[in-house]
Amino acid sequence: MTVAQAKPKDLPVGANLPFIYREYSAERLKQALHKMYLIRQFEEGAEESYMRGLIHGTMHLSIGQEASAMGICMPLTNDDQITSTHRGHGHCIAKGAEVSRMFAEFFGKTTGYCGGLGGSMHIADVSTGNLGANGIVGGGIPIAVGAALTAKRLKSDRVVISFFGDGANNEGAFHEALNMASLWKLPVIFVCENNGYGMSTSMARSTAVPNVADRAAAYSMPGVIVDGNVLSDVAEASHEAVRRARAGEGPTLIESKTYRYRGHSKSDRNRYRTKEEIEDWMTNRDPIVRYENELMEFGIIDKAGVEAIREAVAKEIADGIEFAKASPSPEIRDLERYVYTETV
Amino acid sequence: MPVEVILPKVDMDMATGRISRWYVGEGATVKKGDLLFEIETDKAAMEIDAPASGTIRDISGKEGIDIPVGEAVAWIYAEGEATKPAKDAVADATPVQEVVPAAAAPVAAAPAALPELAPANPGKPSNGTRATPLARRLAAAAGLQLDAIAGSGPRGRVMRSDVETAIAAPAPAASVPAKPAPIVSRPSASSQPRPAPQRSAGAAPLNFAWLRQGEGRPIVLIHGFGADLNSWRPMLAAGPVDAPLLALDLPGHGGSPRQTPADLDAIACDVEATLAALDVGPALLVGHSFGGAVAATVAARGHADVRALALIAPAGLGPEINGAFLQGFVRAKSEASLTPWLRLLVADEAVLSKPFVNATLAQAADAELRAAQAEISDRFFADGTQTFDIRGLLAALRMPVRVIVGANDRIIPASQSLGLPGEVALHVFAATGHMPQVERREQVLKILLEMVRV
Amino acid sequence: MDQAVRELSYAQAIQEAMAIAMETDERVFLMGEDIGVYGGAFQVTGDLVERFGADRVIDTPISELGGAGVAVGAAVTGLRPIFEFQFSDFATLAMEQIVNQAAKMRYMLGGAVSVPVVMRFPAGSGTGAAAQHSQSLEAWLGHVPGLKVIQPATPYDAKGMLLAAVADPDPVMIFEHKLLYKTKGPVPEGYYTVPIGKAAIRREGRDLTIVATSIMVHKALEAAKTLEAEGIDVEVVDLRTIRPMDKETVIESVKKTSRLLCVYEGVKTLGVGAEVSAMIAESEAFDFLDAPIVRLGGAETPIPYNPDLEKATVPQVPDILAAARSLAMGGR
Repeated sequence: MTVAQAKPKDLPVGANLPFIYREYSAERLKQALHKMYLIRQFEEGAEESYMRGLIHGTMHLSIGQEASAMGICMPLTNDDQITSTHRGHGHCIAKGAEVSRMFAEFFGKTTGYCGGLGGSMHIADVSTGNLGANGIVGGGIPIAVGAALTAKRLKSDRVVISFFGDGANNEGAFHEALNMASLWKLPVIFVCENNGYGMSTSMARSTAVPNVADRAAAYSMPGVIVDGNVLSDVAEASHEAVRRARAGEGPTLIESKTYRYRGHSKSDRNRYRTKEEIEDWMTNRDPIVRYENELMEFGIIDKAGVEAIREAVAKEIADGIEFAKASPSPEIRDLERYVYTETV
Repeated sequence: MPVEVILPKVDMDMATGRISRWYVGEGATVKKGDLLFEIETDKAAMEIDAPASGTIRDISGKEGIDIPVGEAVAWIYAEGEATKPAKDAVADATPVQEVVPAAAAPVAAAPAALPELAPANPGKPSNGTRATPLARRLAAAAGLQLDAIAGSGPRGRVMRSDVETAIAAPAPAASVPAKPAPIVSRPSASSQPRPAPQRSAGAAPLNFAWLRQGEGRPIVLIHGFGADLNSWRPMLAAGPVDAPLLALDLPGHGGSPRQTPADLDAIACDVEATLAALDVGPALLVGHSFGGAVAATVAARGHADVRALALIAPAGLGPEINGAFLQGFVRAKSEASLTPWLRLLVADEAVLSKPFVNATLAQAADAELRAAQAEISDRFFADGTQTFDIRGLLAALRMPVRVIVGANDRIIPASQSLGLPGEVALHVFAATGHMPQVERREQVLKILLEMVRV
Repeated sequence: MDQAVRELSYAQAIQEAMAIAMETDERVFLMGEDIGVYGGAFQVTGDLVERFGADRVIDTPISELGGAGVAVGAAVTGLRPIFEFQFSDFATLAMEQIVNQAAKMRYMLGGAVSVPVVMRFPAGSGTGAAAQHSQSLEAWLGHVPGLKVIQPATPYDAKGMLLAAVADPDPVMIFEHKLLYKTKGPVPEGYYTVPIGKAAIRREGRDLTIVATSIMVHKALEAAKTLEAEGIDVEVVDLRTIRPMDKETVIESVKKTSRLLCVYEGVKTLGVGAEVSAMIAESEAFDFLDAPIVRLGGAETPIPYNPDLEKATVPQVPDILAAARSLAMGGR
């Protein structure tokens, strides 16, 4: 089947295409591919910089989870908000942040999103609605509920996404927050990116229910399971949840099943997964490859177009790293500057 | 069977008491009736005597803490009587005794460098004076040595009131004998305009201190019997002094050698040598009481360049002096015995705060010092009589002379200052005792500054 | 315009402050356990739910951690929540959100956000509620940069400092001693604030400075009266804020009196008085000390149930008298 040059909207009624091809323009679809590459290459660039000693501390890379981050954010406006996790680089980019200022943050520079005070684990861009990654598992979940309470009280039509991992579903904060969100019918969407492992401990060894989405029943909200490596499936689930939220029908719990290629953090010795398991996900289920193939299959982009995106992204990443390298470090004298809003 | 020494009830409503001072140490031999310790109560200080003769051991009643009435504070063992096992003995009595010889060795090896290692008495810690930060700061500002100030606080801690009293006291304690390093350059700041004359400091026979640095003609101060050069400090607190101020210790006093001079001329000789060694030029010479007689003698001899003479409650103008005071003062070893005599010095007893008494007591603890002073007293004030006369000297002086006395002087009657030559000015302060420079410090200081500015 | 002054209880003063805050600022709302129709465990919110509705006086589930997090999230995104913990002891359940999130968000994000949340903690012993409902944990939070921690001691301050806290752009933790709720004092009508970070000299004196917090201010004042008759002239400093601490007022007072006694109910070791003492020892006031600094703090035990034992675990007036007398004599 060829639909070359055709806009998805021009497709015959009843065309059995996946959700996003019915919902978005080719331009937005290509942008989505661009962003997924941007996330992947950003992570690779960060990893490379880390190994060169340009980044200190540790990092949690989301390579392999690009479709999850991108799909959830597709229906969001700039005004909508997210809270994120320690594995939050992808969310930040998907929500609209610039990679140059993210690199600058990782390099501890004043031009970074947090002025060099937060680093990888607290990456945020409030201007695009990202209230911040979080070093505490489950830490951002109640905060997202609070942000949703604000949205409801101010009648702002804003929705709030709370990203968290499978490990967080066993934190008390998760349960307390879901209960209150449902109780008060708040415009918040809980997105569990289930990559199978909380650090080294698998879902099977840590969680009494087979799916995190099963928890939703306890809080009287829809629990939706999607293949987190299929962009359209993720985006479709997000769309429905956002609609519900904006309509005042309350929260949704989305479980996006995915996989991280890298270890938990930079100090992971990978003793809990087999090489075969990792290889299988990388070879057969890579979210970018799958999406790219779809786009080509549906005639939205060709090989040259993909190559052009890759090159553009590579340049953006290289420029971003150069920007970060060239940026100034904070002054020691400003150490206490942001502890309080007003100097006390 | 050893005899128990208890903390006795000495006051009504007394459930506990504090030993303010032990007069004997662990292992001392005592005779029945000897003074053992002093108890401090709200109303009085009481001296407690030995209930038996023998050797005092197991001192458990520490100074400055509340002890229940009736509790054993020590034991007296008869000669040859077996003592209790060592572990029952008071723990901290032993280390103190060990510290002394240990500290003595380096002192012997390097006496100049380590003078403060020689403890004034074995009960005092040798590692520095216990003092509050405020006391330290005030003492430093006044140029006072902390270890010369007796602390009235817990465990002998020097407090603000002690320093203030030392500043205001007629004779605050030079308890450490013969300080090898006089405080010549102590008024520390290098910004002081006039550096202390050190070039021949070693040749000065008398201990001295520059209490103030400054420009212009110096004022030389000579204290009275039983005091020392620190006794001038309270007067200096009364106002700004821009003239250089040199204070001397008389022989047998303060940090000067413990000798008994033969007569006033012998003392004058030492004063002149000291002034010469320090290169003191034209000066105003000031003397108090016995020091007044010395000052008049120096002025009359003409070897030193004395341009004016101020005599405060001077001795040598008549025969009577309060002999009971002199004897009592020199003998007193405890607060209880000293305080009544000190009261005679002043018209207003408020000057005599407890810290001041303690400061004087610290001097009294120096047996050698008091022995030297007893001899001086016997020689110059034999049988309560002033054996010397400076009236003749004053008549011959060709310089401004002022005599300053208190109308209520109970040591040397003010009336002795009458009948002096007409050129000698006489200031009589009402309601003032033997120490106008303390009780009327502002006025006396003003008079002296007027004299030095002429 | 002069504001009429009434006698109000400490609890009434807080309630009035919250009502004024909600009347004057739509963004302000209350959250907590049983603060609605029940009126709060100590009747501090009272009937506010009737005046402002359940949307602005929100009963939360018994979810301290989640509730605190919701308050933090609401504050970051533009509201002004006042979150009541039923007992300050329950803050232990919410430490994550208070310490890791509220205190640090602004800093971690390089100043991109502020967290104007107010949290109220009914604290302290004396109610017979034993070990898990009687603690004074203000020093725990006082240890965290990014938080402001206050302990109003009077109805006047309780109202004025709460209004200042609501207006403050940063997280403010208010520790309210439960035994103070029923104490009365003059409180002006209408809006006024009492600055955070400023101590109050409750009584001037020459001989001794007592730095006290919360209910201990009243005990110190009572002791000061007795001491006055004995010729000991005590200055009582009500610290009011433990972070950021008003160093200047304490330093000036100690420079004047040369003696410092710290009285606080929290456990003595590593408590507020430890900080005040260390601050003075490090300050220019050190050279003015004429006696060792003394701390009177809570016993090194949980709070016991038995009333006599309970009293014995926290400083009482006779303890203050004894410590002050000893200090006046030069201390230990």
